[in-house]
Amino acid sequence: MDTAMLYALRDPLGIPAHPVIFLILGVATWALHIAAVHVLLGSSFLAIRGAFSGNDHWRRLAAAMVNTAKVAVSVAIVLGVAPLLFVQVIYDPFWYTSNVLSAWWVIGFIVILIVATLALFIFYALNYELRTKKARCPGSMIAATLLFLVVGFIMHALSVQMLEPDQWMEWYAPNGVIDASGRSIHSWNPWRFAFFIVLSFPVIGIWLFGYRRYLQGAGDEDQGYLDFLKRLGTRLGAIGTIVSLILLVIWMRGLPEDIAGFATGPWPIATAVALIIVAAYPMLLGRRLDQGLWGYTPILVATLGTIVVAAMREAIRWATLFGVHGYNALDYKIAMDWYSTGLFFITFIVMGGTVLSYLITVAWQAGQTEGTYTPSRTVNRMGTLSLALVVIWVVQYFGFGLWTAYA
Amino acid sequence: MDLIGLYPTWYEPGIGSGWVIGIIATIHVLFSHTAVGAAILFGVLAWIGARDNRPELIEFIRKYGLFLLVFSYILGSITGPGIWYSTTVGSPRGISALIHNFVWKWATEWVFFVIEVVGVYMLVYLAGKLDRFTYMKVAAIFAVTSYATMLAIVGILSFMMMPGMEEWKTEGGYLLGFYGDNTFAQLMIRTAFMFTMTAVVGGIVAAGLKDEAFKKWLLRRLAVVGALSAVIGISLYPWYMNSLPEIAHLVAENRMPDYFTPSILIVLGAMLAYFAATLIKPKIVTATVAGIATLAILVLGLWPGETIRESVRKPYIAGQYIYSNQVIGHDVPGMGVKSEIPTLEKVGFKHAHIFWPEEQREIRRDNAAEVGRTLAITACANCHSLSDTGIRPLKNYFPEKADIEGIKTYLHGALSTGNTMYMPRIPLKDDEAEALAVFIAGLTDPEAVKRYEAGDKTALLENRSDEEVK
Repeated sequence: MDTAMLYALRDPLGIPAHPVIFLILGVATWALHIAAVHVLLGSSFLAIRGAFSGNDHWRRLAAAMVNTAKVAVSVAIVLGVAPLLFVQVIYDPFWYTSNVLSAWWVIGFIVILIVATLALFIFYALNYELRTKKARCPGSMIAATLLFLVVGFIMHALSVQMLEPDQWMEWYAPNGVIDASGRSIHSWNPWRFAFFIVLSFPVIGIWLFGYRRYLQGAGDEDQGYLDFLKRLGTRLGAIGTIVSLILLVIWMRGLPEDIAGFATGPWPIATAVALIIVAAYPMLLGRRLDQGLWGYTPILVATLGTIVVAAMREAIRWATLFGVHGYNALDYKIAMDWYSTGLFFITFIVMGGTVLSYLITVAWQAGQTEGTYTPSRTVNRMGTLSLALVVIWVVQYFGFGLWTAYA
Repeated sequence: MDLIGLYPTWYEPGIGSGWVIGIIATIHVLFSHTAVGAAILFGVLAWIGARDNRPELIEFIRKYGLFLLVFSYILGSITGPGIWYSTTVGSPRGISALIHNFVWKWATEWVFFVIEVVGVYMLVYLAGKLDRFTYMKVAAIFAVTSYATMLAIVGILSFMMMPGMEEWKTEGGYLLGFYGDNTFAQLMIRTAFMFTMTAVVGGIVAAGLKDEAFKKWLLRRLAVVGALSAVIGISLYPWYMNSLPEIAHLVAENRMPDYFTPSILIVLGAMLAYFAATLIKPKIVTATVAGIATLAILVLGLWPGETIRESVRKPYIAGQYIYSNQVIGHDVPGMGVKSEIPTLEKVGFKHAHIFWPEEQREIRRDNAAEVGRTLAITACANCHSLSDTGIRPLKNYFPEKADIEGIKTYLHGALSTGNTMYMPRIPLKDDEAEALAVFIAGLTDPEAVKRYEAGDKTALLENRSDEEVK
């Protein structure tokens, strides 16, 4: 598959803004998505571990982690839509080919994810009193977690297959005869997959620090439980990071010859440094971990660390597709569309920023309040502004629409 | 190089990739429309509940919300990208056209999704925790946001049928592609059916309510909303049909089965009867009855609607410029898009297709059937099954024991010229037409392929003497 062929697969419509915008949005939103996936997997692992434990702290943690997993799966799914969108914009030749060649797995992804999510909700619904009573149907939680790993593996394989255009024809037409069944997964990298999965442990470790701080803010007086969370978070952060680093090294050492130089370049080093900082940060905070908003900053640092990991993942893709195959995602034809570009950014930053800030503030403050929560005047104004912005969006939709269609 | 950007083809011999997409799409429509309708119902109920201080309404939202969370938000939010996935593998260039035209609209819709997910969790888990005015505000944001997701997607769905405005083809641009009469006709119909589905699905939860007086109050209102919205939705149907281009009317007249209009009326009648019965006697609504009604809407109501939308856009898959077999069939000067038909006429699929096996670029007697299969997978399989089952089996369109010569003549005369309604123009080089004819003949008569490979002189027109041809 030569470079001209890859370029011929591009959509002739072009894209409505500079490709670097889609590249950056793709990396940023993938980072948020994978962070949610890590929280989902990490909380699922801890829920299973706790569900089988007789220890009070573990059982309390298991109950909290089932709730976390339940929300995380929704967040992971909804956040996953954005990187899925952006990858199709500038890497369409690679993403579409990879998908078609494993079509049944792509369809299977949907079915398996539905079954996994339902299994998680079944476990949740059956175990409202997990903290005090024996776990009912723990197999559903185990099945959910295993199936989440399967869907993760399918996504992993699709991402790897898109980096191997030289193999595509052999996969599509082995020995010159077309196999259009889409029944096979053609390529994967166990170390790369394991690296991204094991990151769930340091991430959930960091998450526990945030959870602990939240409980402190809500006036939780069970110091033993708070200490347990701190110990567990530290341990998960440290061990998870060490294992992740080992997997990163193995993955990098096994890179194909034509991008072997990537392994000793700045990106893997930046990733390793970021992971170490994320794991060490709560310890560096010392007593401040229990003070004010400092206790939440490990989550912020972990988010930044995840962005570094996401950037490294993108850098490998770039090194492969541009460095080896000559495909430059940044020279995609631009058919600039100012209205839709402007509308997105205003919606994303102004409306989305305001509304989500309002909702999250209300949810967070309500969780820290005994009895009925009544927001402050400022928060109330944020709410009114949020509602007004959403309504204005609808009004502009009809305004531009009716003017375009009928004026 | 004369290349066209065709991807590999996924061919599912059992039911056909089209059915896979259709099934996932229909399920998603059920979930998503219900989610939007229920969100608006939430908003209204939360408003009344908070305004009149009626805790039973808030309790209903909490209960219905948990059901909604699983039914619509979890399943809806998976089957939504699920449509992307299924169309990606079934029609990569079709989805690509939508993505590249409307990426920012989809990204905008995503912002609303994120707000929706946060909102639904808050409404369910903070019911009774927030003061009533805050709860009303969150409910209102959630309701408008949910409807905005439908606003964002409907123009994209409309573009699958046709660009919003004809001027899009010459001037390009998002607004002309997204907005048009068809966009608003679809929006109004979908809005109406959204309420119908909400009324039916709402019955599943309402059936489980303990407070009989409240249950009756709610079911009666759901019945009124459901019946009214069903009538309004059906009455908007002529507007939708009038917004379609001439070719769609021709296709509808010729391809839609005779039972289509009566079946739509029967579905409407059944829905009205159901809502009338629940209005008069709310007691009949049990979770099972409401569940069956939901399934009935899915199968009887949604399926024909989605089928006609899918059928009348043929032979195009998007924007009236990409054929269902993924070939770009027309210029779109406003977006700098060129038809790929001239390239195919010049070099054929065998040289223009990127994913064409090297061994098959030269067509001989001994590989003609295999090349024909490759051509059939590429140019036909998206709409025609190559086996006995699945979507519109190819073999059904040719007489049994059809001779290769006759099939080849048909392919040249009817397909290469684009003279068959409902079918894309498929230019074939002479040897390609012969190879495809050999493959098609083999579908009903495997011996025909053997005879051809053995060099049967009577198999082809070109091999016959002038006398034989006469």
